[in-house]
Amino acid sequence: MRDLWSGLSATTQDMMILTALLLPSVAVAFAILHGHAPFPIARAMMRRLRWTNIVFVLLIGISIGLGVGLIAQERGMRQGSARAAEKFDLIVSAPGSEITVMLATVFLQPTDLPLLDGAGFAEIVRHPNVVLAAPLGFGDSVDGAPVVGTTAAFIEHLSDKRLDGRMFTSVEEAVVGALSPLALGSVFRPQHGFGDGQIHDIDITVVGRLPLTGSPWDRAIVVPIESVWSTHGLADGHAPQDAGQLGPPFDPDYFPGTPSVIVIADQHWANYALRETFSTERMMAFFPGAVLIQLHDLLGDVRQVMSIMAVVTQGLVVAAVMTAVLLLVRIFRRQISILRALGAPHRFIFAVLWSYAATLILAGVGLGIVFGLAAVQVIGRVVTARTDILVTAGLGWPELHLIGIFTTLTLSIAIVPAWFAMRQPVLAGLR
Amino acid sequence: MRLSIVDLVVQSADGRMLVHVPSLTVRPGEAIGLQGPSGAGKSTLLFALAGLAERVSGKVMWCDRDIVRMAADARAAFRRENVGLVFQDFLLFEELGALDNAALSAAFAPRSVRARVKRHALRKLSEFGVPIERARRVASLSGGERQRVAMARAFANDPPILLMDEPTASLDRKTADPLIADLVKAARHDRKILIAASHDPALLTQMDRIIELRDGRIVDA
Repeated sequence: MRDLWSGLSATTQDMMILTALLLPSVAVAFAILHGHAPFPIARAMMRRLRWTNIVFVLLIGISIGLGVGLIAQERGMRQGSARAAEKFDLIVSAPGSEITVMLATVFLQPTDLPLLDGAGFAEIVRHPNVVLAAPLGFGDSVDGAPVVGTTAAFIEHLSDKRLDGRMFTSVEEAVVGALSPLALGSVFRPQHGFGDGQIHDIDITVVGRLPLTGSPWDRAIVVPIESVWSTHGLADGHAPQDAGQLGPPFDPDYFPGTPSVIVIADQHWANYALRETFSTERMMAFFPGAVLIQLHDLLGDVRQVMSIMAVVTQGLVVAAVMTAVLLLVRIFRRQISILRALGAPHRFIFAVLWSYAATLILAGVGLGIVFGLAAVQVIGRVVTARTDILVTAGLGWPELHLIGIFTTLTLSIAIVPAWFAMRQPVLAGLR
Repeated sequence: MRLSIVDLVVQSADGRMLVHVPSLTVRPGEAIGLQGPSGAGKSTLLFALAGLAERVSGKVMWCDRDIVRMAADARAAFRRENVGLVFQDFLLFEELGALDNAALSAAFAPRSVRARVKRHALRKLSEFGVPIERARRVASLSGGERQRVAMARAFANDPPILLMDEPTASLDRKTADPLIADLVKAARHDRKILIAASHDPALLTQMDRIIELRDGRIVDA
């Protein structure tokens, strides 16, 4: 049985889980409604308290929408951050915090990092399995956008060689991220640090634009690493006789240091060997994807808490609505008594009230899905704008499963007001 | 269907006697008028005959079935199949149209009879001259029209028993008279039992027997 289940596609499994979650609702509905036609009466009751019912549906819809919207957003954020780290196979840096180095390297968060020296960098470059070792240099900005120094090879790796314009060929040229406001041909002067730092005395021209990566690199301004070093009065990584050279090979004696190096191996498996090799007293090597997974694992608990809180919140809203429906049963006492007086069986009264409550719940669920989709879009845009991590979340199977659980639970809870309505004395309602 | 009442007593929640009928027999095809001042127990007696009253003792035998002894759902089933009820203040579903109200029992009738109930209700509404546009709710009808919708609802099942509380109270003479004729015809020709509580002399004079109630007791029959 387990093999059969494992053999099914993920979509089939999700569909079957959703079906299993909704099946009790269908069974309850069939048991209650079989042989009766309560909907015209339930509809009349809906019309009678139209605005109250609309408020109930809105309450349920908003609680579901916010719940599933936030959970979907959290998943979208995880996927977005994982996507942003895809191009950063292995990061090598001076020993320190992996999370801090990852945040600085992948997400371009400004921070002070210790530097890896020229000897360390040379050791990386010398390794036979390393096909790309790109030093990064941070610290400058233009109108709040980070200026990052690196090599042309890394830009080609990052852009899959799909640059709009061309690659930089001198320290006075730059390539900008897809969302940078700087146009091709525009000229800027980088500023030291972020805020009120000193403006460097160099005019840099934008010559190329990266394709969209869905990461903070989309707003970055990328210059040759030599440009960053030289504007800070440091050696530019090359011996005097190689002045003007851009990119590797770098001379360890003239290498000013780098906060992190992006390493690409010739084979996928070699990354693991490289991580081992470069995890020394002088160096730290890690997979940013693995660090993200650790962070996500931590967030995974938060996600579980969020899921439980979403269900509890929705449950509370429905409990409130059901309590209100219980009170409404008193308003409908006369209608219920008329039905009983005309010979309606208890089961029919039960079916009418359950249909009424179920209609509110199902309308709320439908509205909740619409609200959820809208919430995901809105929150996604806000998060993308604030973090530059492209969040493209939609309602997925986990949210649909959550809605399935909610629907089944609440349709079962709807039995309570129906049961109370059924037990009302007839005569009092007729007088 | 024949009605035999033996020592029927209906009491209030505080133990007060509301209706006491020691003995009464009504044959099929007989039309009975209940009269008496307000609070005399006419409506309570009708409720007791329909199995709707609480704190009831004695026997209310419809043929050989004592409605007092029946369980709640059995009483409901009995009403569904045998009793057409008209209440003093109509008790309609204001949000529904005339036809949906008149055919209300179709909603909980067995599937096999739903269409027949609707047909019957439609015919009665037409006979009683009630506008039947589906979109028009009964809330927008006049008092007389609403009363006739309630009458059509009572006839929709073609029941052998008609229990009516002031069926002509909201009708003008011109509308009431043909309706009374219909009621009497239903009783005599279709062998139905008609028991109508009324203050309307025009209705009462058409009845086979008039029972006068005072303080819950029959003072003249």
